[in-house]
Amino acid sequence: MDTITQETTCILALVATLMPLLSFAGILLVPGRTDRGAFFSILNISFSLLLSVLVFIKVWDQPVVHQQLEWFTIGNWHFKAGILINNLSALMLLLISLIAALVHIYSLKYMEGDPYLFRYWAYLGLFCFSMFGLVITDSLLLLYMFWELVGFSSYLLIGFWFTRKAAVQANKKAFIMNRLGDLGFLTGIMIIFTQFQTLDISLLFSEGGFVSHATIQNGFWVFSSNKMPDIWLTIAGLAFFFGAAAKSAQFPLHTWLPDAMEGPTSVSSLIHAATMVAAGVFLLGRIYPIFNSEVLLVIAVIGAFTAFMAATIALVQNDIKRILAFSTISQLGFMMLAMGVGAYGSAIFHLITHAFFKCLLFLSAGAVIHEMHHLKEKYKLDIDHQDIRLMGGLRKFMPLTFITMLLAALALIGIPGTSGYLSKDAILIQAFEWSEGQAGFWKVIPYSALITSWLTAFYISRLIFKVFFGRLRLNDICGQTFSLHEAPKIMTYVLVALATFCLFPFFSFNPLHYEHSWIIEGLNVVSNIGRVNIYHTLIPAAVNLFAVLIIYLSFTWYVKRGKSPDLSNSALFRFAENQWYFDKIYQNSFVNGILLLSRSVFAFDKAVVDGFVNLLGRATVLIAGLSQWLDRRVVDGVVNGAGSVTKIIGNFARHFQTGRLQHYLVTMLLIVLSFFIIKYFSQAI
Amino acid sequence: MIPLAHFMFVSAALFCIGIYAVLSKRNAIMILVGIELMLNAAILNLVTFSKHDKFEASGQVFALFAIILAAAAVAVSLAIILNVYKYYRTIDPTKIDNLRN
Amino acid sequence: MSVEQIIFYVFAAMVLSSALFVVATKNLVHSIFLFFITLFSMAGLFVFALADFIALSQIVIYVGGVLVLMIFAFLLSNKQILDNPKPMRSRFLGIHHLPGIFVALVFFLVLIWTISLVDIGQLQWVKESQENTVKASDNTIHYIGINLMTRYLLPFEVVSVFLMMALIGAAHLARKERKV
Repeated sequence: MDTITQETTCILALVATLMPLLSFAGILLVPGRTDRGAFFSILNISFSLLLSVLVFIKVWDQPVVHQQLEWFTIGNWHFKAGILINNLSALMLLLISLIAALVHIYSLKYMEGDPYLFRYWAYLGLFCFSMFGLVITDSLLLLYMFWELVGFSSYLLIGFWFTRKAAVQANKKAFIMNRLGDLGFLTGIMIIFTQFQTLDISLLFSEGGFVSHATIQNGFWVFSSNKMPDIWLTIAGLAFFFGAAAKSAQFPLHTWLPDAMEGPTSVSSLIHAATMVAAGVFLLGRIYPIFNSEVLLVIAVIGAFTAFMAATIALVQNDIKRILAFSTISQLGFMMLAMGVGAYGSAIFHLITHAFFKCLLFLSAGAVIHEMHHLKEKYKLDIDHQDIRLMGGLRKFMPLTFITMLLAALALIGIPGTSGYLSKDAILIQAFEWSEGQAGFWKVIPYSALITSWLTAFYISRLIFKVFFGRLRLNDICGQTFSLHEAPKIMTYVLVALATFCLFPFFSFNPLHYEHSWIIEGLNVVSNIGRVNIYHTLIPAAVNLFAVLIIYLSFTWYVKRGKSPDLSNSALFRFAENQWYFDKIYQNSFVNGILLLSRSVFAFDKAVVDGFVNLLGRATVLIAGLSQWLDRRVVDGVVNGAGSVTKIIGNFARHFQTGRLQHYLVTMLLIVLSFFIIKYFSQAI
Repeated sequence: MIPLAHFMFVSAALFCIGIYAVLSKRNAIMILVGIELMLNAAILNLVTFSKHDKFEASGQVFALFAIILAAAAVAVSLAIILNVYKYYRTIDPTKIDNLRN
Repeated sequence: MSVEQIIFYVFAAMVLSSALFVVATKNLVHSIFLFFITLFSMAGLFVFALADFIALSQIVIYVGGVLVLMIFAFLLSNKQILDNPKPMRSRFLGIHHLPGIFVALVFFLVLIWTISLVDIGQLQWVKESQENTVKASDNTIHYIGINLMTRYLLPFEVVSVFLMMALIGAAHLARKERKV
């Protein structure tokens, strides 16, 4: 590709990035009604989508597009800013703009009637802008800046209903958790800069880039003239992963994501299911060459653990959005696992497919919540409109929502014919292949992933059955017969559009073999894992057979018999219901610890520092008193004495100044006479 | 022939009476009278010495001027006294001790 | 002692006694009328000083002008000025009179002493003015007229303008204000 088309592509990408920023600025700066901005932002995001499609067509399977300009200079270091679009970023650009556009359209109806809606549109614009910027930038520093912006706009959107206390708590929590992760990211950037003296992603991480030239020699990490102990390489990898873990809600920084469900559902679907949480995975993909085998192992372990943990928690939740939130954490764990086992392409592939079906799940759930909320408002019921225990039988009222959600659920489980099957099986198969080359204990990892996928099948079918099958349990509780409506047309259009993306033809013409997917081929990763043929047939078959069994089990529990075995008193159930007590542990250890520390510091401050200051103050007061006494008695005494003397003299002199002419005249004549007499006597003498 | 000294003794006595009136009286008109007495004493002196200045008669001319000026002064001061009385309701100079406003 | 001297001393005694009464009496009207006598007697003394024109002027201006002006002013103005507002409780030797009396007496003593120190008849210019001395038979008005119109022309004109200004000023000050 020659330079001119490169520039054109870059400009297209840049414009696509800036359009949401335009809607952000435009909506905030132009005054108007509080619900303004909807069509403006939809127009802008649609334009972005169009441009993204163009960019994608130009870049996919073509040489990398890279343009840069001098940004600023410090000493001898020239920092450059530019646009780097390879297959990964083009794909992300397309994904984000597509889902963002659909969510924008969905929000048109979903958010209708909310006061101060313009803030919602403005924040969405800011978020999309930072997300686009994050995927197309070529500098780690800029990437970090957009990373922060993404965190900030997410903070704004989680707290959109800032009058709710829970929302404020949630956005604070998310912000702090992300800040911790940012610390890791920043550490990684600093290590990279120290070693390579540049932050240019294409120089660092492209094929034959600096990172691949750096070698390990005698326990040192060497690159040209720089060298540092090789532990720093591991630390850098871990630091980057820590940053990614915060953004992608991995253990131990996962607790913010379920709380972030306090935001509007459309926001949850866009940010906390499809795009922002994927930023962590994207970051790992961008800087993949930096990770050495130890770090990758850590990533794999943490990914597998997070996936398993979140799936168990999702089993017992009753809030429809929380189930999906834990499901998201679990799926992100899958992606991390894939990254860890070296299945780079599969991770990204799963990222893409997951984005669509999880977004769809959330939007369908949003439709259900929307209708339940209407019901609640209409009859003034005191219920939690997100509780699945109150739902049931919604299939009859909302058939379209039911069908789309079912499709998404199937994709999540990984039933053949859906996109999820391709990506999930890819991860599982590659995990097993990877474990072939590992020592005994690490063989647990693929098996835990396998179990996790079955747990997934259970919790999502539980959700579907509880919400859409059986009878509306709300009727039993309130003793009334309610009826619901299908979601508004615009919302269902979006659902249908997303549902089509859950099907296999969009990703591979072969519904059974992930290796033929164009995304995997396009990402073109040389896998160093030996292909073990037996897994490619055994695993999908095992997974799916068992998954179907599990679905049937939940069907009998939740639909046929209408009641499930009551496990709510068992320790495991409570353990899962309380989300493995992570929140409590954090609360007790970190929050309370910090509070304790603050209190002791406060006490120290009060007793010692304040005491000293007070002592100083008292000493000063004493000295001041002394000086006041001195001042009053001695200095003032002198001054007052002078004043009194003057006053006495003045009073004396005043007697001559009576204002009476005759007295003046007397005085005058007396003086004249005295002169006369003196004159004469002096003459006489 | 009366010696000049006798004129001067009379004049001195008259002048001192005038001084007393000016210094002691609590009435503006009496003060004015005292001033006139003093003026008359001075005029008497002038006239007395002009006896030895026949051709130029400076003493008498000055005495004339003094009489005229005294008359003018009396006219003006009487007018002033009347105005002061109108304003203060008194002509006691010891009580007239503030400027207007 | 010649008749001339006796008459002079009579006049002198009249002047001094009436002047003393003028300042001593508490009745304003009485003092004004006694002042009348003082001025008349002064005119007599002027005659003895061989200044008959001045004596006439004294009578015309002082007695005919000033005194009449004073009396008219009293009559035209508030009656309270005529009746001495506070009948003077204090006597002639009241405490507030003391400084005046003291100053007047000291002044008088100084003057007497001074005059007695100087023998006026033996002064240089008095001795040299034999030709220039006025005799009782001389007509001084002639010389006064010549001097006024030659040597003292300017003061004369100035005094005339001044007199007119004083009259206008007095009339202006004494007029009844229409509105305050």
